[in-house]
Amino acid sequence: MSRRTFVFGLRAKLLLMSLFLFAIPWLGYEYVWEMEKYLRAGQERTLLGTVRAVATALHERPRLFDAQASYLSVEKGRDLYAYPIVDPIRLDGRLNDWRQQQHALTYDDNYLIEQSPAYQPGSLSFSHMVGKYRDYLYAYFEVQDAEVIYRPQNSLRIDRNDHLQIAFTTPAGDFRRYLIATTGPGWLTPYELDTGESVSGIRPLSPEPRIQGSWAQTRQGYTIELRIPLELLGSKLSFAITDVDKIGGEPVATIGTSDVGDADTLGTVLVPSPEIEQIIRGLGHTDSRIWVVDRYQRVLARSGDIRNSDGIWSRNVSGEDEQGWFARFEHKWLHPLYYKVLTRPPKDFIDQFYDVAQLEGSHIEQALTGEAGSDWRLTPDNKAVVLAAAYPIFIEDEVMGAVIAEETTNGIRSLRNLALEKLFTLMLAIMLLGTLGLFLLASRISSRIRRLRDQSEQAIDEQGRLRGSIEPSHASDEIGDLSRSFADMVQRLGQYHHYLENMSSRLSHELRTPVAVVRSSLETLSMEDEGAAKSVYMQRAQDGLNRLSAILTNMSEATRLEQSLQSAERQPFDLAEVVTGCMQGYQLAYAGCDLQVSIAHQPLEIEGAPELIAQLLDKLVANAVEFATPGAPVLVSLARVQRQAVLEITNQGPLLPEEMAGRLFDSMVSVRAGGKGGQPHLGLGLYIARLIVQFHQGQITLHNQSDRSGVCVRVSLPI
Amino acid sequence: MGRRIAIVEDEDAIRENYAAVLRRQGYEVLTFANRKQAMHSFDQRLPDLAIIDIGLEDEMDGGFLLCQSLRKLSSSLPIIFLTARDSDLDTVSGLRMGADDYLTKDISMPHMTARISALFRRMEALSEPQDSEQRVNCGSLELDLKRMQAHWKGLAVDLTVTEFWMVHALARFAGHVKSRQHLMQDAKVVVDDSTITSHIKRIRKKFIQLDTGFDCIDTVYGMGYRWTTDGD
Repeated sequence: MSRRTFVFGLRAKLLLMSLFLFAIPWLGYEYVWEMEKYLRAGQERTLLGTVRAVATALHERPRLFDAQASYLSVEKGRDLYAYPIVDPIRLDGRLNDWRQQQHALTYDDNYLIEQSPAYQPGSLSFSHMVGKYRDYLYAYFEVQDAEVIYRPQNSLRIDRNDHLQIAFTTPAGDFRRYLIATTGPGWLTPYELDTGESVSGIRPLSPEPRIQGSWAQTRQGYTIELRIPLELLGSKLSFAITDVDKIGGEPVATIGTSDVGDADTLGTVLVPSPEIEQIIRGLGHTDSRIWVVDRYQRVLARSGDIRNSDGIWSRNVSGEDEQGWFARFEHKWLHPLYYKVLTRPPKDFIDQFYDVAQLEGSHIEQALTGEAGSDWRLTPDNKAVVLAAAYPIFIEDEVMGAVIAEETTNGIRSLRNLALEKLFTLMLAIMLLGTLGLFLLASRISSRIRRLRDQSEQAIDEQGRLRGSIEPSHASDEIGDLSRSFADMVQRLGQYHHYLENMSSRLSHELRTPVAVVRSSLETLSMEDEGAAKSVYMQRAQDGLNRLSAILTNMSEATRLEQSLQSAERQPFDLAEVVTGCMQGYQLAYAGCDLQVSIAHQPLEIEGAPELIAQLLDKLVANAVEFATPGAPVLVSLARVQRQAVLEITNQGPLLPEEMAGRLFDSMVSVRAGGKGGQPHLGLGLYIARLIVQFHQGQITLHNQSDRSGVCVRVSLPI
Repeated sequence: MGRRIAIVEDEDAIRENYAAVLRRQGYEVLTFANRKQAMHSFDQRLPDLAIIDIGLEDEMDGGFLLCQSLRKLSSSLPIIFLTARDSDLDTVSGLRMGADDYLTKDISMPHMTARISALFRRMEALSEPQDSEQRVNCGSLELDLKRMQAHWKGLAVDLTVTEFWMVHALARFAGHVKSRQHLMQDAKVVVDDSTITSHIKRIRKKFIQLDTGFDCIDTVYGMGYRWTTDGD
C-alpha cells in the first residue's frame, strides 16, 4: 500500500471547523452594537431630560418671547435675523470686517416695491445683512447701481437722489421712518421722516444722530454701513433702497426688504436675546449645545459647542493611560488592526447648522406642536452622528418656542470602541488558543490514526502474510479502542494464519501414522504371502503409498525449512562456485534439456548458507525445466549488477497468468495444470524459494519476458 | 535364545504389524501402548532393544521421557525412535537423549529390520575380538563394520547407525561424489534432501568436536558429497 498524504486531512478539516471561532468576534461586535443602541437610547433620554429642564426654566416668561415671537409667519428676505457679530465693526463703508458675509441676502427685481416706466430691470440690486454687536444692530448694504446720484449740496429735498429708507417700530410700538441721503461719500446723517396721515410724501423732520453710518462709493455702486441702537428697535424692521438716475430726477425704482410706508407692512427683525442666553448659560455647563428657538424656528439663543458635546459618557472613557509591554503591543499592532473595522470618533467635523438663523428638523417641528421629540442625524461630512432633542416652551398653554439640545454620539462611540478593543483582544486570544488547541488536537488524533495505519500496514506484508502484531494502545478513547480491536483482530488473524500455515505439516504429520499402518501391513502381508508380494496389486499399492509418502514429505518441507532457517548459520561463500557446481549437477540430472549457463567469472562472495542456495536453485531450475517448451533452451545467468548478484533463469514456454502475479510466491499457490501425473505438486516450491531469498535479504521476482516468449525468474542477492 | 525387543507404540495396527514382522525374524517382541505399561515392565526386566514412538497416547513427549528413564537404567541399551515426527528439532532432541537411531515411520520393513540387526551386531561386536577384514581404513578414518564403530585419528566417533552408514558410503569410495539419493539408499532411510543435508551437518560436527581441523566431507553443490582423504 502506498503512503498517502491527505490534501484535506483531519487537521485541515478541524482547522476549517475552527473558522467558526471567527463568529465569536462577530457575536461580540453584534452584542456591543446592541449595547450601543441602549446607550444611545439612554443618551437620548438624558438629553430629553436636559431640554426639559432648560424648557422648565423658560416656561411662562412671556417677556422673553413677546417681542419676537408673536408673528404669524416668517418669510425669508422680509423678516430679518440679526446674526451675532463677534468682532467689532468699523463704520467706514468697507466691508472687510464683516466675517459672516455668507449670510447676506441679495435683493433684486423680485423685491421691487416701486418702479417707474423708466426702470430697466436688473439695473439695481443690493446685498444686505444685519448683525448684532453689543447694544447695536449693524447693517450693511452693498448696492449695485450704475449711476450714483448724491443729494445736491443745497437741495432741500432729500428724496431726489439715491437714498436708503429705514422703517421700524420701537419697543413701545411707535412707527418710525428714517431716510438716509448724502451729498457725498463719508459719514452720513439720517433724517427722521414724518409718519403722519399723508404717508405718500417724504417730509423730513429732523436728523437722527443715534443712527450712525458711513457711505462709500465703489466701482459697482456704493456701500452703506450703519448701526442702530437696540433700545430704539422693536420687533419690526424694514429697509428700502431707492435709485435715482439723474440729479433732481424722479425715483426710478425702489427695492427693499418690505414696504417701508406702513407699520403693518414692515418685516420683522429677530435679535438673539441676551436674556435667554444668560438663562441658558446659567443652567450650567452642560455637555450639550443648547438652542432656544421661537416658534418660527428662529434661533433666539445658543450656548455650547457641538465639538465638545460628547454626551455625559465621554468622561468615563478618557484616561487610563496603561503602561507595559502589552499596552505597547496593543497600541502598536492591535489597534491599527481594530481600527480597520472601527472608526475613531473625529474631533473635527463640520456641522452645517453651526451658524444658522433658523433650525430645521422633525424633532423641532414635533416640539413646536407641543411634544418632546428627538432626532438623529449625520453631520454633512458623515463624520459624526448628532443627537438632537427638542422640548416645547409653553406660555399660557401655547407653544412659544422650543429648547433644543444637541450632542454627538462620540462619547458612546469611544465607549463602544473601548469595549470592542477589549473584546477583540480577548477574542483574538481565545481564537488563537482555540485554533492552536484544535490544531494540536487534530495533529494528535491524526498522528495516532496514522500510527495505527502504519502499524496495521506493517502487520501484514505485501503477500498478505502477518509480519507482526499491533501493539494495543492504552488510551481510553475511540482510537485506543480501535487500536485494541485491531490488535485483537491481527492476533486472531495471526492464530488463524498460523493454523493455516501449519496445516500442511500437521496434515503430513497426522497422515503419516495411517500411511505407516498401510505400509507396515502391506509389507507384512508380502512377507507372509509370496503370492501377494508378487501380485500387481501389491505393486500398485506400494507405488501409491510411495507417492503418498512423497506428498507428505513435500508438505512438511516448507515447515522444516522455516525451522532450519531459524537455526541456519551464515557463512561467506562464493555464489558463482555454488551455481557452477549445481549447474553441472543439473546438466547430468536433466540430460534431455538444453541448459545454457552463463556465469560471470569473478567470484561473487555473499553471506549466507550455500546449501540453501543450492536448494533454491533446485527449485527454480526444476520449475524452469518443467515449464520449458521441449527442445528450447533454459538460460541461467549470474552477473554482478552494482552491489547485487543477479541470478536469472529464463525459459521459453507458457506465460504466467496476469492475475496470479505477486501471489505465486505464496504457500499452496500453483499454476500447474492439475493431474499431470508423476510428481505431486503442492505449490510450495516458489514459497520455499522466497523463504530462502528472504533469508539472504534478497528479492525474487517472476515475470513474463518482454517478448512474451516465456518466463524469467530473477533473484537478486546483496553482495 | 531370541532377543527381546520392546515396541512402545500407541497405534495398535503399526505396533502389531511391526511385532508380527519382528517375531517372524525370530525376535521375542514385547508390545506396550503407553509409557506406564512399558516402564512397569522395564523395571522388572530390561529388553535388548527398545523401539519407541515419541507421542504416546496423551503424552506428547512420552517417548522422550521413556528414553531418558531407560538411559538411567542402562547406558548401553540400544534405543531407536520410530516416529511420525520428522522435524530437525525432534531428530536432534531424540538423538541427544541418547537414542541410537531416529527413524521415521516412512521406513520400509526390510530397512527397519536391517537397522535392528545392525544395532544388535554392533552390540555383539563390542564383546568380540577385532576382525580386520571387517575394517575400512581411509586416511585417519577407521571404520569397524562389524561393531559399526568409527574412529578418527584413533578416537571413537559416536555415530548413530544411520550416520555410520552414511560415513561408510562416503569413505568407501573416497574422492567420488555421492549424491543424496545414493546416501539415502546406503543408509537405508527414506528422507528428503534437506534431511540428508542435516545428517551430513551433524556428522561434520561430531568429527569437528574431536578434531577442529576436520575437513574431509566436501559439499559438491548440486550433486552431493564427497569424502576427501586427509594426508594424501
